[in-house]
Amino acid sequence: MKLNIEGLLVYFPYDYIYPEQYSYMLELKRTLDAKGHGVLEMPSGTGKTISLLSLILAYQKAYPLEITKLIYCSRTVPEIEKVVEELRKLIEFHCKETGEANNFLALALSSRKNLCIHPEILHANIVVYSYHYLLDPKIADLVSKELTKKAVVVFDEAHNIDNVCIDSMSVNITRRTLDRCTSNVETLQTTIQRIKETDAAKLKEEYRRLVEGLKEANVARVTDVYLGNPVLPAEVLQEAVPGSIRTAEHFVGFLKRFLEYLKSRLRVHHVVQESAPQFLKDIFQKVCIDRKPLRFCAERLRSLLRTLEISDLTDFSAITLISNFATLVSTYSQGFTIIIEPFEDRTPSIANPVLHFSCMDPSIAIKPVFERFQSVIITSGTLSPLDIYPKILDFRPVTVASFTMTLARTCLCPLIVGRGNDQVALSSKFETREDFAVIRNYGNLLLEMSGVVPDGIVAFFTSYMYMENIVASWYEQGILENIQRNKLIFIETPDAAETSMALEKYQEACENGRGAILLSVARGKVSEGIDFVHHFGRAVIMFGVPYVYTQSRILKARLEYLRDQFQIRENDFLTFDAMRHAAQCVGRVIRGKTDYGLMIFADKRYARADKRGKLPRWIQEHISDGSLNLTVDETVQMSKHFLRQMAQPFRQEDQLGLSLLTIEQLESEEMLKKISQMAHQA
Amino acid sequence: MASLSEEVLLVLKKVRQRKQDGTLYLMAERIAWGPEGKDRFTVSHLYSDIRCQKISPDGKAKIQLQLVLHTGESSTFHFSNDSSALTDREAAKDLLQQLLPKFKKKANKELEEKNRMLQEDPVLFQLYKDLVVSQVISAEEFWANRMSTTNTENTLSDKKQDVGISAAFLADIRPQTDGCNGLRYNLTPDIIESIFRTYPAVQQKYGENVPHNLTEKEFWTRFFQSHYFHRDRISTGALDIFSECAKQDEKGQVPSYEGYGFSAAASTSNPNRTGKENSNSAIIKRFNHHSAMILAAGSRRGDAPNDQASETSSTDGNSRDSDLFQPPIKKVKLQEAIDYLDLQREDGPKTVALNLKKSDRYAHGPVPLESQKYTTSQDIINSITCIRHEMANYVPNLAQVLTSSAVSSAIAALSPGGVLMQTGTQQAINQMVPSEVQGELKHLYIAAGELLRHFWTCFPVNSPFLEEKVVKMRSNLERFQMTKLRPFQEKVQRQYLSANITGHLEEMLQTAYNKLHAWQTRRMMRKI
Repeated sequence: MKLNIEGLLVYFPYDYIYPEQYSYMLELKRTLDAKGHGVLEMPSGTGKTISLLSLILAYQKAYPLEITKLIYCSRTVPEIEKVVEELRKLIEFHCKETGEANNFLALALSSRKNLCIHPEILHANIVVYSYHYLLDPKIADLVSKELTKKAVVVFDEAHNIDNVCIDSMSVNITRRTLDRCTSNVETLQTTIQRIKETDAAKLKEEYRRLVEGLKEANVARVTDVYLGNPVLPAEVLQEAVPGSIRTAEHFVGFLKRFLEYLKSRLRVHHVVQESAPQFLKDIFQKVCIDRKPLRFCAERLRSLLRTLEISDLTDFSAITLISNFATLVSTYSQGFTIIIEPFEDRTPSIANPVLHFSCMDPSIAIKPVFERFQSVIITSGTLSPLDIYPKILDFRPVTVASFTMTLARTCLCPLIVGRGNDQVALSSKFETREDFAVIRNYGNLLLEMSGVVPDGIVAFFTSYMYMENIVASWYEQGILENIQRNKLIFIETPDAAETSMALEKYQEACENGRGAILLSVARGKVSEGIDFVHHFGRAVIMFGVPYVYTQSRILKARLEYLRDQFQIRENDFLTFDAMRHAAQCVGRVIRGKTDYGLMIFADKRYARADKRGKLPRWIQEHISDGSLNLTVDETVQMSKHFLRQMAQPFRQEDQLGLSLLTIEQLESEEMLKKISQMAHQA
Repeated sequence: MASLSEEVLLVLKKVRQRKQDGTLYLMAERIAWGPEGKDRFTVSHLYSDIRCQKISPDGKAKIQLQLVLHTGESSTFHFSNDSSALTDREAAKDLLQQLLPKFKKKANKELEEKNRMLQEDPVLFQLYKDLVVSQVISAEEFWANRMSTTNTENTLSDKKQDVGISAAFLADIRPQTDGCNGLRYNLTPDIIESIFRTYPAVQQKYGENVPHNLTEKEFWTRFFQSHYFHRDRISTGALDIFSECAKQDEKGQVPSYEGYGFSAAASTSNPNRTGKENSNSAIIKRFNHHSAMILAAGSRRGDAPNDQASETSSTDGNSRDSDLFQPPIKKVKLQEAIDYLDLQREDGPKTVALNLKKSDRYAHGPVPLESQKYTTSQDIINSITCIRHEMANYVPNLAQVLTSSAVSSAIAALSPGGVLMQTGTQQAINQMVPSEVQGELKHLYIAAGELLRHFWTCFPVNSPFLEEKVVKMRSNLERFQMTKLRPFQEKVQRQYLSANITGHLEEMLQTAYNKLHAWQTRRMMRKI
């Protein structure tokens, strides 16, 4: 199908199109025209990726000077593979329609195994890879620094982007890290000794280079070749490496001193929390380490490793981590906090000291990306409430839009279960967490649903601990036995291999008609990135509201920071975070308009407007007032009704003209008007 | 009595039956016992007739073996050879254990089939009661010409699906305390089969250890005592024969995984976990394992030998991610994942939508009738006013009515005993006779019909078998008349003197006798 999007010819590799896809492309084009950033929310299963690719590809074709490159970032390897497959399909279609040979070069970087050779990136029109290649300073420097400014960057499945940013800038140091560092330093020392004996010229040459400073890099950045690296701040580039760490031996000595200092800091008996300047002051007083050499630490180490021609960098991950920490802590006086915990809260008797150097401001990591590239698109199935992302990532979008799913039949059925049949209020809140009545009612809900829902059911708990306790208690009460009479039970575990095994078996059981239940955890492996299409998931049950563990000091520090810097109240942020994870979990069940599924929110708190209002629009609009505080029995009745209706054949004709359009229908005056209204609603 | 060709598998002397010494023979198709010094068997059972064998508990003074037949009868043998009673019994038991299952399947299937037919067809069941249970004809005769129809059904359903295993089978073994610090587990053959199918390792152990190392009972006792059965599975003693199974399972549980989407770092187990948490995670592990085993048991059937290989090779498409060697399955899965079927032109087979007139009925099922019959008080008031209104406006049309004498004669003629009611006596049966008698009569008709059908199928009598059968059928009919029909007639006569409701039945029987008589006289004539 050839589309006309405000004068742009777009090749779309399907015979039909969803109205929201058209609307999405329209908004996307406007964003690109304005050379600005955009935040776009559209439900999964409505062909977001293909719309995005089709439009940007067409844009690149039409205005090759405006946009030279598309950088498409997704989170996991399976997602990247999916994008590549869609791209392949699109390019094939393109070639067939235009009769031209393919002149696009697309490149996918998925894992270290097929890491590309880096000059190729410069020439590719489309690059598909993981977030980390752009956000994680350690990797971004290797892969992405030479990307052109005239590129469009897309972050797909971006609902968690703030956490990715924070993780990429945070450092955790344990005793083990320090031990490995010590051995790293020893290796460095012996290597330096050896080289000194055999090839002293090499070290001299390095010294000369360092005296001249990192000017080279500076030149490159000014001439617009490099992507800014947050670990390598601009000032560093203009100065020479300070004399105290210029020779290799001195630098190693310096590292040793730094390590000793860190070791002494880990020998604490109570929790310490301090800011970066406080840390710097302390280190100066204790071991006379200045701020300046610390700032050059990361760059100096890199240079040393290069000089020593050490090929296997993985062995040196510990020392690299420490040097990055040194640079970060001396560069940023704001946005970070240092917390030293002598033991875990749950096991106060076992000493396991950890130094958390934690980033509280996601905008630090992503800032270079927004500054450098002309258009950055943040998109996902669940980005509600939309205004919070520009706030916490500190950027100004030109478009903010949420698209709903047009449906010919209501194929999703969100129900909020607030009470058990005995009228006990259902909630995972802390006070009633151990309450047997709640646990029993939760079990009863799952049991009843297992008898009503065909094929697969996925249930999510708020945390792994919570799930373990509930499962044990269900086991003792014999609830699991009864569930087993209806379906097989598989459970997510902290072990990745075991979980993927359970997941695979779950799918097998759904596939062969036996039917199964998968118990898993919000924020876990299953809740992100694994889809339960069609019979692989006919119902999702969300037991409780998946609030993050609020007692953690890191989280508390972050909340404080958000309040002070962005005027976001703690509770607002916590609820936002819980609801986006809940939306992610229940969103797993609907993957397209022909799919159908129940979304059961088993916690009475979901009925409140402040929770409900934070769900994506495409889920919210199907929650009726009648389904806000159901009992288990009522839920079962409504589920039965829904499932029977949905089991009817659903044909293309039923959708045509409503949620599915031919090119003629699309071009009709009336429809265009409708679509433009749809986009404005956002 | 034993035919010469019969192969004798085992002979055991000094076996008592009904306090009589004798010898027990186990042959290829039956088991038989003959008293000492006599040349014939007083007890003989086909293996296919035997439902199960029971043995006396160890340590009892009498060493016995009991055979329970499908009919419910049983024969008990007492092994009285002083020196070798126990070994004799064991030998007989073991041989029977091997032989019975072979015959059981066949017998069971037939039996089940018959059972099913009787349960599904109440008329047939009644007939069976009337004819077989009251010993008018034998069960074999009854089934003789019915099984032919079932046999064809059998061939159709020969390839039926295996029944899967209930995931909750272990839960059905409810342990009960026996009052003296012990637990009783109820094991049925079904559960044992479920255990074996789900945990082949246990079956293997069973094969290795029973009966040479352990008796069956000991084996199961150990099984339930073992940590293998228990949820925690924390430590397994060295003596435990199942510790090996557990290890084997562990191996099967976690194949070397390099799948992505999952970081390898996450799989480090936390050593600081408390015991409670440990047992909780053990439960979770066990559930995963149990479900996986059940699933595997379902698919293991049929392609058992090459299963192992296929399982390991196709565990996960994700584990090899180089683009060049993409396994086709993964490629297809990817394609499926990205394809929007409804965006493409449809060319699949057209489906027919259910046309639901009352979708509520479809969604909720039948609703109790009361709600529909319910009339509101408003309705009642309305209808009363309506009737009142009609009555108020009623005007009799006197010009068109009959004279009173004509009316009374018509009423008389139409009353019971009147001129117009004379021919209607026959239909009166259903008014005169209470429904239980009617039901009984119905059964008599069906039974008689069945017997007569057997009788009439003998004609034309052209084989010695039919000759024999027709004579037998006559005696069956007579017996039916004597044991069933007569008492009924007497009962009816006692209650309703005049009603001759069995007349037609007798007529039918008489016709049959006449026919047989005619045939017999003709045959005599011919012989003379």
